[in-house]
Amino acid sequence: MCADLSWTNRTLLVCDRSSFLDHKNRVSSQVEQLHFTYKVSLLLPGCSSTPSYLDSVLKSFTSFYLIRKLPIYELLDKDFLKRAVYQGAVYGLSFRTRMDEDNCVALMPNGHLVLSLDKDSFEVLGFEGKPSRFNHRWVVSVDLTDRSMAPGGRGYLKLLTGLKSRLQLQTDFLLSHHPGGGASLQPLLSRYDWSEHKPEVSRRCLNDLTCPSPRSCDPHSLLEWLGAVDADVSSENSSSSFLSSLVCPEADSRLRHALSVCVSGLLLPDHLLRLIQELRYHLQQPQLESWVSLTVHGFTDSPVSWGDGQQRVSNGGHTFYSLMMFHDHTYHLYRSPGTPHTGPP
Amino acid sequence: MAVFMDLNLVFSADRSHLQSMIETAAHLGFSTVAVNYVFEPSTKKKQEIPSPVPISELIGQLPVVQGRSRPIRVLNRLTVVISDVSHFRPTAPEYRCFDLLAVQPTTEKLFHAACMLYDIDIICITVTEKLPFFFKRAPIYGAIDRGLVFEISYAAAIRDSTMRRYTIANALCLMESCKGKNVILSSAAVKALELRGPYDITNLGQLFGLSDSDSKESVSWTCRSVLLHAETRKTASGVLHTMKIQQEAPQDSAADGDASAAKRSKPT
Repeated sequence: MCADLSWTNRTLLVCDRSSFLDHKNRVSSQVEQLHFTYKVSLLLPGCSSTPSYLDSVLKSFTSFYLIRKLPIYELLDKDFLKRAVYQGAVYGLSFRTRMDEDNCVALMPNGHLVLSLDKDSFEVLGFEGKPSRFNHRWVVSVDLTDRSMAPGGRGYLKLLTGLKSRLQLQTDFLLSHHPGGGASLQPLLSRYDWSEHKPEVSRRCLNDLTCPSPRSCDPHSLLEWLGAVDADVSSENSSSSFLSSLVCPEADSRLRHALSVCVSGLLLPDHLLRLIQELRYHLQQPQLESWVSLTVHGFTDSPVSWGDGQQRVSNGGHTFYSLMMFHDHTYHLYRSPGTPHTGPP
Repeated sequence: MAVFMDLNLVFSADRSHLQSMIETAAHLGFSTVAVNYVFEPSTKKKQEIPSPVPISELIGQLPVVQGRSRPIRVLNRLTVVISDVSHFRPTAPEYRCFDLLAVQPTTEKLFHAACMLYDIDIICITVTEKLPFFFKRAPIYGAIDRGLVFEISYAAAIRDSTMRRYTIANALCLMESCKGKNVILSSAAVKALELRGPYDITNLGQLFGLSDSDSKESVSWTCRSVLLHAETRKTASGVLHTMKIQQEAPQDSAADGDASAAKRSKPT
């Protein structure tokens, strides 16, 4: 009379090992697939302060805007569509809306507007959509650049009426743009209560850090150790402390200094690609340590995860990946695709 | 809305006690709770069915659910523990004041009757003792077709380790027969400390034999179906809703408007 074990959640960790010099490497395609990134954590062994080139890249990340109580039909405004959406420069995500309780909205740079709605809201909206595989939700995915959604077209008016008079969806909204596209958002911003934010950077210098050898260590233990370092969990396992009994797996060396940098906000794939370039440059500098780790956290409440795919709630690690970069241009890319039904992208 | 609900908070006469339970539930993220009046009739003594205290008297200002801008919704529920056929009177007018109606059958015959005949919303599965009877597929599927749900409560499991064994054993027994359909998990909490968050209950559901998605549904979607079922119980086929209008000449009139949220008696 035991619980059926075939129902237990199984996790899968995919490890991709290749080199940046190989032109078929998947790093840039992987980075570009995750449109909305919440946080990036870096671990730079052997550094006690952020190198200047890295600092300048972090400072150059474009700021993003938070609009409070934006009625979603404003995203269909003709002027906004022409100036921002059609240029392919805008990223938008509803803020503080929980995937399993509220209605969530995402606006992607390729002009797709994705609404993840619960059953009642979907029936009230009255627009075509598909039932989501997860959680009794319905997904309305609209290509705003398509001819049927051109302003004045039938599909456009149907969605506009739905959002304006029937459903009246209104959420806090995070909006960001490609560099140089800021002016296109101003007309929309000026109509509502908005604030500008810069991605927040925090740095921590770690002393006397025991670390494993990243090349030879088992991936699960390595990722656990990286997570413990990022979360500031002590891996001393002293007998007087009951908080954590984590230890460094296969302890290989002891670092006198290491720098943990964390950037959070609405980050775009473009920012990450520039950061990876700088980190590669950093690795070429003469130094003791030959590796750097970069972990990317996506938004847990975003209606889209990889590409246009749907997000499954509270699955642990679906929109999340880790990149270990080495001195010789090789890398290890770790990611954990969620459900047993969908493979890695 | 696929929001989280806990449909079993045991009523206590102490107002502050109940208030703290409702505040804890709101803090944990539940959008709807139901205050449960347990009524155990005995053939020897004539007892009165308790009448529900109006929510506005119970708690002044309803607390806002954590993470949302709406206050928590509080409903009234009656659970009748039946050990004899005469205990449940289907046409009793006292049942009308309650939003939800539940029974807890103690024999197999009563369980069969509850599943197939009684006009109720929830069938409670006993968790404090060994199951007095085995579940048969026929009445369970009959109940599922009618839109009834089976309830497992977990507060007993928190209090005592023997109860924990009974809870898990009885729950697994139920899941074998009903395959995880139409099940809700609720607390039956007597104090605020016995409440747990919705995601914790989802994990607990997996221990009871529910699959990942069924477990999540048991705290959200199935509870929503129960509420809609309860609303339609008071209507005629879920379309007509009658209201007594206060007039000088004593007469009822049927109003055609105000159709309830579900147009079908069995929401899908």
